[in-house]
Amino acid sequence: MARVNPEFAGAVKESKAFNASACMNCGVCSAVCHMGIELLPRKLFRYVLLGIEEKVLANVETIYSCLLCKMCEVNCPASVHIAENVRFLRHYINKKVYQL
Amino acid sequence: MSDRRIGVYICHCGGNISDYVDVEKVRRAVQDEPGVVVAKTAMFTCSDATQQEMVQDIEEQQLDGLVVASCSPKLHLFTFREVAKRAGLNPYQYTQVNVREQCSWTHTDDYAGATAKAIRLVRGGIARTRLTEPLQPIKIDTVPRVLVVGAGIAGMRAAVGLADLGLAVLLIEREPVVGGRVAAWGAMYPHGKNGRQLIARLNEEIKQRENITLFTCAELVEKSGSIGNFNIKIRVGGNSGQGQEIITARVGSIIVATGFDNYQPVAGEYGYGIDGVLTLAEYKELLDSTEGKLFRHGREIKDVVYVYCVGSRQQSGENPNRYCSRYCCNAAVHASIEAVDKNPGLHQYHLFRDMRTYGKYELLYNQAREKGAVFLRFDHQEPPVVEKMADGKLMVKVRDLLTYSEQIDIAADVVVLVTGMVPRDNGSLVDVLKLPLGQDKFFNEIHPKLRPVETVVDGVFICGACQGPKNSSESVASALSAVTQSASILKKGFVELEPLIAQVDPEVCRWCGECTSACPYGAIEQVQYQGRAVARVNEAVCKGCGGCAPLCPAGAIDLKGYTDEQMKSMIDAFLKEIV
Repeated sequence: MARVNPEFAGAVKESKAFNASACMNCGVCSAVCHMGIELLPRKLFRYVLLGIEEKVLANVETIYSCLLCKMCEVNCPASVHIAENVRFLRHYINKKVYQL
Repeated sequence: MSDRRIGVYICHCGGNISDYVDVEKVRRAVQDEPGVVVAKTAMFTCSDATQQEMVQDIEEQQLDGLVVASCSPKLHLFTFREVAKRAGLNPYQYTQVNVREQCSWTHTDDYAGATAKAIRLVRGGIARTRLTEPLQPIKIDTVPRVLVVGAGIAGMRAAVGLADLGLAVLLIEREPVVGGRVAAWGAMYPHGKNGRQLIARLNEEIKQRENITLFTCAELVEKSGSIGNFNIKIRVGGNSGQGQEIITARVGSIIVATGFDNYQPVAGEYGYGIDGVLTLAEYKELLDSTEGKLFRHGREIKDVVYVYCVGSRQQSGENPNRYCSRYCCNAAVHASIEAVDKNPGLHQYHLFRDMRTYGKYELLYNQAREKGAVFLRFDHQEPPVVEKMADGKLMVKVRDLLTYSEQIDIAADVVVLVTGMVPRDNGSLVDVLKLPLGQDKFFNEIHPKLRPVETVVDGVFICGACQGPKNSSESVASALSAVTQSASILKKGFVELEPLIAQVDPEVCRWCGECTSACPYGAIEQVQYQGRAVARVNEAVCKGCGGCAPLCPAGAIDLKGYTDEQMKSMIDAFLKEIV
């Protein structure tokens, strides 16, 4: 169970760097990811869009294990800037969790 | 044996027929039937070359009967009627025998059986043709005036269209004001025009046209006559019974544009009844009447949840609406964009089963997401639950399929139930017009793609949302289609109808009324003949279904083109070897 938190979603969206609203949940990103990351972009981005912050923070390690190879991004039919989004989330976590 | 001169043509249909039926054997079997003077096979009887050959044969051999054994009459009845006409033969002296669907397609495993059946069917066709008489289409003069029932956007646009084509229009509206649903709306998509203004402009256009007569608070109470010449009675005036007036008029066709009703959720359906749970129509009212941020009961609306498919695509329940209302996804997405434009800080969550934002509306859907609306997909077997919380807010619990069926809780100020369209209660109008309703209780067209505004009652057309969920532009498009259909009948000045109808022999008829009660079209009436009551068939209303003929105890009714004598001779021909 998770409750939506529009403040978290809003804070993320305000950055302009994060954009996942075009994601159609098609799953191409997961099919091409050679790391086989369990937390797929589409799942992660859903958490962000819905503002479920605790789910995002519970997956910090996975978010950092992405290679930013952009394999998913070049194959995304909706042109979501996946790597950019992941980079932004790291930035957010750096500040919020690690106070860097 | 017979003095008729009949030509018989049996089709290979490429191999479609001849692969499973020995067409040459069929030809040999029927060439000596009484009356047959020409019997041929052809690779394609419908081809130009064979048609030309038939015309030549009819002219040279002076044929007075034609039998084509090929495919279903649905496909080529009119093709070969035209062939007959071109050769100077009365088209009703031709018979189509269906040896494709009824022989080669149905008996692919039985060459001999299919061939034997084809022989019998062709013999039957020849027997019927031997007894055909030349018939003439029934010609009826038309009245250049149209009754339009319902002055919503479809009815109003139809009235203007008809008037511009030079036809007089009687436009009647049950409510005291015109405009229907659209008159209540603000900005619409994709043209961006305001519903109220759109209707106001149409109303102006109607006022400017002298040949449109508009009656509000008016209902159609009686209709008689038939295509081209209906007699109608309209009750005008208050519902209280005071100041009521009956107006009679003659019209050539009738266009029904009575629109739809909004689905009304039952108490408890997705929390309907809880304060803050609104239907889309109620929410639209709130939106259209607000400038700037949205407020409800003095509290700012910050979070909105939309629940889609309310009252649509239902699988169970007492009277489930199985259909999709098509317009509601678009309307809800459009409303949510309007809402966020009024209040950019608004949080909006759309809970859907499937998004059907077709065509240009796809852009609207993208726009909504870009403006921050989040879409969550639920399974119809696990619909969202709406509850009231202690702090006065609403709580919506939903399993989001896009987030791997995780349960998501959303706090909301307002829950909008995106309701579909339901048919309007038109009970008395249905009785007056005798229009058939579909399974979903909307008016039924003859064919949704091929004859989309015509009904089984000739001269009565339907358009707009009374025939099924439509948005305003689709309603207007169908209204204009009904205009074209009406005009094509009425501008010509006459209609030609099939002469293959029932006829009563007044000498034999004893008037028992059996035929009248059997007729589904109300085409048989009582008249006086030589001082006694007999039945008479209204030629313009009769469809030639033949329902009355076998019921007549006196045997006074015959169906032209399918007389008792013809039917008996066909049966005898079918059973030739057996009897």
